[in-house]
Amino acid sequence: MPWYLYLALKQLFPTGRFPFFTAISVMGVALGVMVLTIVTSVMGGFGYEIRRMIVETEGEVTIKPRVLLEDAPATLAIVRRIPGVAAASPYAKGPVMVMSQGIPAFPIFRGLDLDSVNSVTNLARFVSPAGAIDQLDDDAVILSAQLAQTLGVRLGDTVEIYSPLLIEKLKSDEVFLPRQFRVVGQLYVGHQQLDSSMVYGTLRAAQEIYGLGRRVHGINLRLAPGAGEEAVVARINAALPADQRAYLWMESWADFLWVLNLEKSINFFLLLFIVIIAAFSVMSSLLISVVRKTREIGLLGALGASPRQVALCFCAQAFVIGVTGTGLGLALGFGILAVRNEIVHGLTNLLQRQQTLQQFYQFADLPAHTLPRDLVVTTVAAIVISTLAGLLPAWRAAKLKPVEALRGE
Amino acid sequence: MSDFILTARGLAKTYQSGDRKIGVLRNVELEVSAGESVSIRGESGSGKSTLLNLLAGLDTPDAGTLSWAGTPVAMGEATRRRADFLGMVFQSFYLIPEIDAFQNVLMAARIRRAPGPAEKARARDLLARVGLAERASHLPSQLSGGERQRVAVARALMNSPRLLLADEPTGNLDEQTGDSVIELLLDLCRESGTSLVLVTHNLAHAAKTRRSLFLHEGVLRPVATGPRPVG
Ligand SMILES: Nc1ncnc2c1ncn2[C@@H]1O[C@H](COP(=O)(O)OP(=O)(O)O)[C@@H](O)[C@H]1O
Ligand SMILES: [Mg+2]
Repeated sequence: MPWYLYLALKQLFPTGRFPFFTAISVMGVALGVMVLTIVTSVMGGFGYEIRRMIVETEGEVTIKPRVLLEDAPATLAIVRRIPGVAAASPYAKGPVMVMSQGIPAFPIFRGLDLDSVNSVTNLARFVSPAGAIDQLDDDAVILSAQLAQTLGVRLGDTVEIYSPLLIEKLKSDEVFLPRQFRVVGQLYVGHQQLDSSMVYGTLRAAQEIYGLGRRVHGINLRLAPGAGEEAVVARINAALPADQRAYLWMESWADFLWVLNLEKSINFFLLLFIVIIAAFSVMSSLLISVVRKTREIGLLGALGASPRQVALCFCAQAFVIGVTGTGLGLALGFGILAVRNEIVHGLTNLLQRQQTLQQFYQFADLPAHTLPRDLVVTTVAAIVISTLAGLLPAWRAAKLKPVEALRGE
Repeated sequence: MSDFILTARGLAKTYQSGDRKIGVLRNVELEVSAGESVSIRGESGSGKSTLLNLLAGLDTPDAGTLSWAGTPVAMGEATRRRADFLGMVFQSFYLIPEIDAFQNVLMAARIRRAPGPAEKARARDLLARVGLAERASHLPSQLSGGERQRVAVARALMNSPRLLLADEPTGNLDEQTGDSVIELLLDLCRESGTSLVLVTHNLAHAAKTRRSLFLHEGVLRPVATGPRPVG
């Protein structure tokens, strides 16, 4: 080990003494990194949960026609042959009015093709009672949990569903009666929007409500695991007729994800100031150390140390503080993330605000998903900033002339 | 060619203090041959430390030339050559407080290259030689002044330098301790054939070196000699 690294470590962790100054400097960096890790992970968790929610309820890719898909079987035949496509399921969806005992609600009705829906989505995982999906028929629906609660509907009850076509019919003075549906299950995904405003029924029922005949609104696709999402979408689009297009899950959420990402970047930027402030404290304690050790620095020069090596000795100290602080910060951050739900639940129980939190944050549990990219950016930023804090002390130390440093008697 | 370990010719140094110029060294001539010991005395402020720093290549003279072992010293390369060529001992011991006595001695070797078993053995031998074998793992703060200066002497000799420059090494020590440090310094230099330039106020210490010089008004002059010990 070069002497300057050896001395740097010894000055940070002196023999037989608790490294008080080092501990404080390291703690500052660690706190910054901890907060950055937690915040980017939770923000990343929202993005990840949204992806999971979309993919598990609609698949990764959706094919949409300009207006209506006239010949769904033809498109299905095309896409099922494309490598990377694991399964496909046509759907129809749109807003409806649901009435139960005089209470109206305006959810989205989503018609599922019962033969293929389970190969594209994981809806079956979110419904209760288990197997409710298989009990769907053209006169049965599954309501999202909060919708059922709002309407006061229980399993086996009947609801009336009004189609928007009602208005057209009224114009031509036709009588149009709402359709009666049996409620065979509830759906709970853990996402506020899906849990409050969805009705799942069969594709045929949806086609009837919307007067589609055999036409559908689109096709959901599930991709083979490990298939490059963008590449598959490109292949599908190359094979599809001009009036149909395949969209990756994030495209329909592009604005939301963009805002989420912006929010994450702003948070990252603001919280990075904790690390920057910590770096200032590293800098000031190293500057004090340079002043305190002026004569020893002079002595090192007299022993043949070059100014560059003296500078490296102080830069190395800042670097070691940065690395140690970052390591500790990551450990603390992941430690807290591991018990985040206990913390949040404890807090909301204490404040009696469990409901409020769910309503405003979409998710029942605090999601967390750490992107490797965020981790790398946090780590590199923290270490670089800490090391930069060593530059000024290093420069001061290197500038000391041994003669002058030694004269201070 | 000369066998001189150190040759200084016409060294001059002036300090600028505000708008006042202080001519400290005017014309210093000094030759030190291999294994020779030389003492320099002079009034406080006469420029003894200034001269030692010039000889060590830590500072640049305004005029004059300096050679180490016959090779002229250019300021740019002095730092690199210093670790191999010379050792220094100061009035204040300048030990590094975070590391123990052994590591302080070894530090001189570290600055040249990563120390191996040979260097470690030598550091241990030197500590034993200065009577501190038992204190090797003690921090400077756990040692007395005399013991610290012994560690500093061991450190100065760590790289087997050809020349040792000592600037009032007993200035911070009581008389008895000082005497024993000087004895040790002279013995070690004699044993290893290291040349010594010793700056001191103490006449008795000066008398133990082979040659005594006096720095006055910027010039080094021999002291009128009586009978001298060989050394
Ligand atoms: N950097 C400096 N600037 C101005 N004057 C200095 C400087 N260094 C030393 N001097 C002056 O030079 C003179 C010689 O100093 P020094 O070599 O330390 O003397 P000595 O070691 O003989 O006591 C003193 O008068 C001192 O004040
Ligand atoms: Mg002096």
